[in-house]
Amino acid sequence: MRSAALIREARLRAGLTQTELAERTGRDRSVIARWEQAVVAPSVDTLVELVRACGFDLPLELVPYERADARLDKNVMLSPERRVRRLLSTTEPADG
Amino acid sequence: MAEDPTRFDPYGLFETLDRHRISYIVVGAFARVVQGAEELTRGVDIVPSTHPENLRRLGQALEDLNARGPTLDQATPVHEFATDCGQLKVVVEPAGTRGYDDLRRAATREPLGRGVRPSVASTGDLARMLAALGREHDLPKLQMMRRVMELERGELQRSRAIER
Repeated sequence: MRSAALIREARLRAGLTQTELAERTGRDRSVIARWEQAVVAPSVDTLVELVRACGFDLPLELVPYERADARLDKNVMLSPERRVRRLLSTTEPADG
Repeated sequence: MAEDPTRFDPYGLFETLDRHRISYIVVGAFARVVQGAEELTRGVDIVPSTHPENLRRLGQALEDLNARGPTLDQATPVHEFATDCGQLKVVVEPAGTRGYDDLRRAATREPLGRGVRPSVASTGDLARMLAALGREHDLPKLQMMRRVMELERGELQRSRAIER
């Protein structure tokens, strides 16, 4: 579940514990844990709220859809080094 | 060094492990990315050889990395450390495998740049681990690994056809 990975990613980038994120958003820590473990998924509005509480934004916009298979096919053509560099550029914290 | 929880420097991590001549196999999300999957991660999972000398050297490497976490011992299946280079998970025997010696057979050294060439678990073994965990939220990752395996097989058949 992508929302689980996003919440965890945003929280870790912000250097927050689940308890701290729960306090910032007025929720119980167990709720944050269940979202991060993909037991349940938050609504889109809640997801944006959680990400913002970590100091990030989650812009939602419509873009042309590329099938996951097609993306994967392209990715497999990359060298291991380029795959890792791509990962690092994706997960790099924003400046400031 | 001031702790920066956002830092993820896999190169620094692998360089430190190699400097201490640790025998290990990279597994988990980072390994899957190296093998071609599309995933996000800010950590590295490794399966070390459990030879006592290797574990002793790993302990030294963890000190160099300023690792914060549990004491390293063979009885604990998974150790999670926060290091100056990001999260490092040390897994003695990942689900569905018999540990380092089992994974070493099919692992390959992958050039990641900066002279770093860690041993990375094969796509087949990475899929085996995900399947053994049996977690519903891992299903898309498992499907992705199986697709990567199919693509690898297709590539292998093509290169064999060219050789003929």
